[in-house]
Amino acid sequence: MTQEMQFKKIVAQYCKTEPEKITNDMRFREDLGFSSLDFMSFLGELEDTFDIELEEEDLVQILTVAEALEMMERLKAEA
Amino acid sequence: MLIRDILEESEKKYAEIKAVKWLKKKGIYERSYRELMKNVVKVRKGLLAEGFQGKHIALIGTSSVEWIESYLGIITGKNVAVPLDAGLPGEDLIDLINRSDSEALFLSPKNKALLEEVSVGCPKLKKIWMLQEEEPEGSDEKTVSLASLMAVSKNSDADADRPDPEDMATIIFTSGTTGKSKGVMLTQNNLATNVIAVNYTREPGTVMLSVLPIHHAFCLVMDWLKGFSLGATVCINDSLLHMVKNMGLFKPDVMLMVPLMLETIYKRLSAASPLIPKKMVAAKAFGGNLKIIFTGGAHLDPYYIDKFADYGIEVLEGYGMSECSPVISSNLPEDHKAGSIGRPLSNVEIAFEDGEILVKGSSVMKGYYKMPEETAETLRDGWLHTGDKGYLDEDGFLFINGRVKNLIILSNGENISPEEIENKLALGKLVGEVIVTGEDNGLTARIYPDQDVVAAKRMSEEKIHTELQAFLDQYNKNQPSYRQITGLVVRKNPFIRNSTKKIKRQDALIDEALPTT
Repeated sequence: MTQEMQFKKIVAQYCKTEPEKITNDMRFREDLGFSSLDFMSFLGELEDTFDIELEEEDLVQILTVAEALEMMERLKAEA
Repeated sequence: MLIRDILEESEKKYAEIKAVKWLKKKGIYERSYRELMKNVVKVRKGLLAEGFQGKHIALIGTSSVEWIESYLGIITGKNVAVPLDAGLPGEDLIDLINRSDSEALFLSPKNKALLEEVSVGCPKLKKIWMLQEEEPEGSDEKTVSLASLMAVSKNSDADADRPDPEDMATIIFTSGTTGKSKGVMLTQNNLATNVIAVNYTREPGTVMLSVLPIHHAFCLVMDWLKGFSLGATVCINDSLLHMVKNMGLFKPDVMLMVPLMLETIYKRLSAASPLIPKKMVAAKAFGGNLKIIFTGGAHLDPYYIDKFADYGIEVLEGYGMSECSPVISSNLPEDHKAGSIGRPLSNVEIAFEDGEILVKGSSVMKGYYKMPEETAETLRDGWLHTGDKGYLDEDGFLFINGRVKNLIILSNGENISPEEIENKLALGKLVGEVIVTGEDNGLTARIYPDQDVVAAKRMSEEKIHTELQAFLDQYNKNQPSYRQITGLVVRKNPFIRNSTKKIKRQDALIDEALPTT
């Protein structure tokens, strides 16, 4: 499974959209119906799954799937 | 009764039991009741030695052992603690520090970026103690560490007098319906009787994991003060990112949550394979010991009570508000009814006026700080008007079925005053009229664009939407998550207004051209 698909499978646990139908331009709140806590919990899962550490201050910048994916890949590359 | 009485009793009974556990750089640290109280007394004596008696002292920070020791150091002497939401923008915090007449501040190192702004904006502040061991960078006479406050009284026996039960202990800010937050004044007796009246017991050493914001009355009184009265070990969740992981780590027996948390956890639980036994899924997700979740702050769909019962967890809903210290009624392990918010506490009297729940009793606040009009409106003849409509059933359980006041209550328990946010959004150049509504568990801004701007720039519908969304994204960046706008509706027509030209809020969802008469 690609890293991106693994990522989208985690996204799908918090919404009613199938992983294959999640596109990168989707916004977590508006398009996928994430609550603020769904979003935090999802990011916590990203930390565990991809072995990365997120800074809470950076998270306010993330609105879309592409932005979260890009952040995860960047942190993973730096780790 | 005093909070100091409760704490001193616990120190005697549970001296060697762990009072607090927390995480730091992946290690678990802990403090026993004896150690905790030693630090509380050091803070209290330090404040006295620094000349703080009968003063208001603010705290800004998320949950930490230093925060709670400072808070208890303030209220076990004769001072008044003012806990503030660390997530608020600097200008709001400055306003609250000034409006509460705070003369000193405990500040978390995570919020040190506020130091300069607060020093300039709050001229009444004589001291700022950073909640840390080491001296802060560029420290001066005014800004020092908590450790140095604790050291001030090292060689002194002088301790602060016990407060009187009717002395004010704390001011807790809550959303105001006029767009200005109100400072709820709670006395020693208000807090202490609420701790006692919530009638449940656990074995000393029972583990609680505190996941709610500590500046909220529900968390402060029911996680911390109630937990300490029971001899519980209160564990600190370091971030909402790690709530589920920390449940596995600390293995709590009891937790307090807002409905939003139950909803998120349930989504995760139900995503597990149906082939795995539910008890096993629960053990992995909750650490294996979780038996009780107390929930409050917003209405919980009773659906979740049954769903969590499948995982062996009892969800008990309660009801309260900061003005009542905060619990008014609660379901209890031995005494509960699904869909209700429990029986009123033993120190509470309930009455109804046109369906609105009125409350009287030893936990009802003294009033709103320096807001006599709002106080008179809420407290009438000793009865607190809750703004909620409800009824008592034949078994004495309380139910809620509506609201009187114009507040949006989100399932994270945050009460949002729409006017407060509308005032800020109205500053947008493209915003002609705006109304904020609570929908799908978030806030939606309904905006009628300023037609002069639209015409001058010849903007298309798509362009208007993009620009308004960009404006909201910008607004959201400086706001705590519960005050962020998650939905945008661009209106084609102005809002419907009443005869005094005020927008009719109840008709905000209707978007039709006005009949031309």
